[in-house]
Amino acid sequence: MKGDPGAFATYYPTLLRYVGVAVGLAILMYGVYRLLRALGAKQESATGFSLILPWIVGFVIFTAFPIGLSFYLSFTEYNILWDSPKALEDKLFNYKRALSIKVVELHEGERPIQVLGTMSGNTPETVRYRELAQFTFRGKHYVLGATDGYFLKGVWLTLRYAVISVPLGMLGALGVALLLNQNIKGVGFWRTLYYVPAVLPAAAVALLWFWIFAPNRGLINWFLKPLYALLGVEPLGWFTDASLVLPSFIIMGMWGIFGANTVILLAGLKNIPKELYEAAAIDGAGNWVKFRRITIPMLSPALFYNLVTNTIAALTVFTQQAFIPTNREDGWFVNWFIYNEAFNYGHMGYASALGWMLAVLVILLTLLIFRSSSAWVFYEGARRQEGGA
Amino acid sequence: MSTSAQTLDRDATMIDPLAQRRRRMDLLARVLIYFLLLVGAAIILIPVLWMISTSLKTESQLFVYPPKWVPDPIEFSNYVDAWNSLGSIAPGLTFWRIIGNTLFITVLAMFAEMFSAAVVAYGFARFYFKGRDVIFFIMLATMMIPPTLTRVPAFLIWRELGLLNTYDPLTVPAWFAWGPTYIFLLRQFFMTIPRDMEDAATVDGANPIQIFFYIMLPLVKPAFLAIGVLSFQGNWNNFESPLIYLNTTQMFPLVLAIRFFQESLSKEAPKWHYMMAMATMMAAPILALFFVAQRYFIEGLTVGAVKG
Amino acid sequence: MTKYLRSAVLLLLVAALLPLVPAGTKALAQDKVTLRVTNWAGVDEAAEFQAIVDEINATATDFELVYEPKPDDYYVQLQTQLAGGTAPDLFWLDQNHMAWAYQDVLLDINSYLEADDRGAADPADYYPGVWQIVALNNGIYGLPWIAQPVVLYYNKDIFDEMGMDYPTAEWTWDQFQQAAIDLTNEEHYGFILNSWPPIHMFIWSMGGEVVSEDLQTSPIDTPEAIAGAQLYADMIYNPECCAPEEVIAEEGNAEMFKAGRVAMFMGGAADDLDRVEGLNVGVSPVPQDVNGGNTTFAWTAATVINADTENPDLAYEALVQLTEAIQNWKIVSPRISQTTIEHLVASEPRKEANAEAILAAVPDMRALRIIPRQDEWDTIFWEDFQDPLFHGEDSVENLAADARILLEDVLPIE
Repeated sequence: MKGDPGAFATYYPTLLRYVGVAVGLAILMYGVYRLLRALGAKQESATGFSLILPWIVGFVIFTAFPIGLSFYLSFTEYNILWDSPKALEDKLFNYKRALSIKVVELHEGERPIQVLGTMSGNTPETVRYRELAQFTFRGKHYVLGATDGYFLKGVWLTLRYAVISVPLGMLGALGVALLLNQNIKGVGFWRTLYYVPAVLPAAAVALLWFWIFAPNRGLINWFLKPLYALLGVEPLGWFTDASLVLPSFIIMGMWGIFGANTVILLAGLKNIPKELYEAAAIDGAGNWVKFRRITIPMLSPALFYNLVTNTIAALTVFTQQAFIPTNREDGWFVNWFIYNEAFNYGHMGYASALGWMLAVLVILLTLLIFRSSSAWVFYEGARRQEGGA
Repeated sequence: MSTSAQTLDRDATMIDPLAQRRRRMDLLARVLIYFLLLVGAAIILIPVLWMISTSLKTESQLFVYPPKWVPDPIEFSNYVDAWNSLGSIAPGLTFWRIIGNTLFITVLAMFAEMFSAAVVAYGFARFYFKGRDVIFFIMLATMMIPPTLTRVPAFLIWRELGLLNTYDPLTVPAWFAWGPTYIFLLRQFFMTIPRDMEDAATVDGANPIQIFFYIMLPLVKPAFLAIGVLSFQGNWNNFESPLIYLNTTQMFPLVLAIRFFQESLSKEAPKWHYMMAMATMMAAPILALFFVAQRYFIEGLTVGAVKG
Repeated sequence: MTKYLRSAVLLLLVAALLPLVPAGTKALAQDKVTLRVTNWAGVDEAAEFQAIVDEINATATDFELVYEPKPDDYYVQLQTQLAGGTAPDLFWLDQNHMAWAYQDVLLDINSYLEADDRGAADPADYYPGVWQIVALNNGIYGLPWIAQPVVLYYNKDIFDEMGMDYPTAEWTWDQFQQAAIDLTNEEHYGFILNSWPPIHMFIWSMGGEVVSEDLQTSPIDTPEAIAGAQLYADMIYNPECCAPEEVIAEEGNAEMFKAGRVAMFMGGAADDLDRVEGLNVGVSPVPQDVNGGNTTFAWTAATVINADTENPDLAYEALVQLTEAIQNWKIVSPRISQTTIEHLVASEPRKEANAEAILAAVPDMRALRIIPRQDEWDTIFWEDFQDPLFHGEDSVENLAADARILLEDVLPIE
């Protein structure tokens, strides 16, 4: 049909540019090599630098420049349908809008929305504090309000997800790795089997679990039916019930998290020299002591690697949420929330600010893990250096 | 003689119950280990089997209580029907078109991504130049940057280039070694290769490009295959970029097509049997690739992380 | 030597390849100007639309329409295309998305309309309640091609079985509500509400408004508006008269009516509910409003022109031709002169039996008053008013008072 450009017509131009960019890049690398040589660089330096050039160019175009642009956009108002961003009178408005919270005393008969009021200062539009929670403190009743409760709920959900699912997943993976390390038959088979969830497409996994958790016809509620009958409760509405959204996502996430981590931990276990255990046995150490004093320290680099990658992955959940529609009121994973702000509601400036806040959160948490690592991560290289000194 | 024999005998009778107990404990432990392994395997496999089982059911069987594991009748036509209903989404959109789109994106991105990662990793691993370690550190640090941060500006960049709604944003930047993990893994592998091999080749008159293609790449085959699987998986499954950059329905890859079943093809009741058929089809090539390459894959994957 | 040779070859290769790299997608040069048009049609509808496009192309001398159906994620995709400058020249927008007119992405066709005396280009021939979706932001931003009033479908067999009289245009809401209760027994429910039809209709019917005429207020807490919302809240998911939420989730909304599980259903006039096999269905206007009319909700949409089109004159010409053709294809046409049984039956012969009842509903239908931040308004109206109301989270008075504050925050300030 006419509206369809046809497969070839859509592939061909991209293919040409794909080849063109590759050739261009090769020429650039060669040119830089010649230039560096001409400037008197050693052959090794010139070669090395030209070899990493693709990454440097990519970093500048697709990482550094976008980060800068995003920083600039985060101080503007920019609807996706506009040609260019509009400057904000209050430069920090987007950030304030995302983060402002307020606690007000609530008297008898007052409605929270009326007492909370609007955001003060130079705002391009009216921004109202919305109720997040109510609580009583020293006999007085208070209401907590936020200007973008959905974002805060999203952050809260994402953080809880990361804090619960990452350690649980690592413990599980460690357990499986220890099991597989017990001299069992067919390690390769088991290892492959346990890796399967990690290879499945996230979209397929999300659909699958959405189906398994379906309230009326899902597998889980069928399994639990006797339990429901015993307790006399209604079947759980997994992804639909506000309080069960997080547990559902955690269970689903745990299923996929085992494999990849297990494989890495298992390789780490295999790398621990047997002599260490033998020496410990001679000293009369029990299994627990061996585990605590040898296995964990020797495994700590692998654990550290898993912790970092899993934390980043947990904080940027996207596809799962896209395929499992939950109530925005109950919190959306923050990455999905930001995508929607930008491309669904069209608020590109605001989404840029939110993106920056998520990035800062991720980086802070990662740095925290890095900082803590000196206390618990044990590097063989470091030990050798100490020994040598 | 007799005394010593007696002693031995007595020792044996004294030790025997202990040894037996230990053997029994050992056996018990082994049974427990296999039991736990089987439980784990069940947790892994039950959802997968449920997916395949559902994909072979008729719509009415979805409602059957208690659920049946082996559908009766087995409805292979679900797969065909699911393909055909994709064709009903928009004119010219066939199942093969969607597979073609997916493969086009995956193969182009994968090839460029693997090749450039190998080149860059080789540069980092084997050559010293000023600022190398700082650059390497920056590269690793980019892993921390959530894609959320660059999404809007990247969209604007492609818009300025006039290349929205083309496959370019999904494939061309792969030449710029966009996967820090792959570079890292390959670098770790390159570093394990003894320098003598290159030195010998250099003496024989080989230039760095020849060394790279004829000596280094064959040596890092496991890692190269591992990132091959990872890269195939990553691009085949990539959902976020097509969602943002592609607008023409006929250009969609599989992962976007699956969403049709959640939206326009399921007006009132979700068609789980079709969705599971699509999920199975989407998972099948990756699983097949993984099983074929799994030995190299796991070897290649673990070197970097454990030694890092 | 070889080194230089190799680089020379490489350079030549690049020089040969670079010109082949096109800068972006460009339309091929043609005698006729290509105009792209898109809509959300699924496959069957798309085939019918393509036939219309083919017919126009056969006679058009200076343009050729190219149709690109976009059945999935229509508005997000279209918005991205508009942002990227790759959107089609013409596209469909439903009334809620006519708010894009305020973002200057749609072409103002007012000056063209003044110089055009064809029927589809005559604002006076459109129902004012529908025309308001294109007449906004000091301009005219498209031509409506449909105005489907919500009507009452009823299952005659269930009425006969219960020995009750069929609904009429004279029914009051009290009578209607009582009938819904009387028609409910173990086998079927009297009525079904599932956030459709829109609560707006009930509020209008009781004399209330959701957005005032000057677009400055959202008076949903007036006694009239509260009466309408209360009526809705009393019926929705209430098992005494209507299908409960869980049952709808299992059995589907319109599906329940088609399965004979519900006696009365409010749906668009073009719905296929009155031609279900084995189901004896009648159509009536919705119950009377406070002024004795039958105020009902109009589901309406327009074809609009991309403000960035390179050929506004030709795009306008295509728009008028398309609109004229669609108005003879879709029911119900939004034009006063086409509100006849002959025209309706010619467009959709299967509606012959109920044409009269449908046309009776037409004059009293209303579309939304479109404001610049319509999507935000709609979201608040749903999340902070309808959804909690339907689930009985608070009283109508409280919810309306709170929601009004929020809704008025997004209304335009003059």
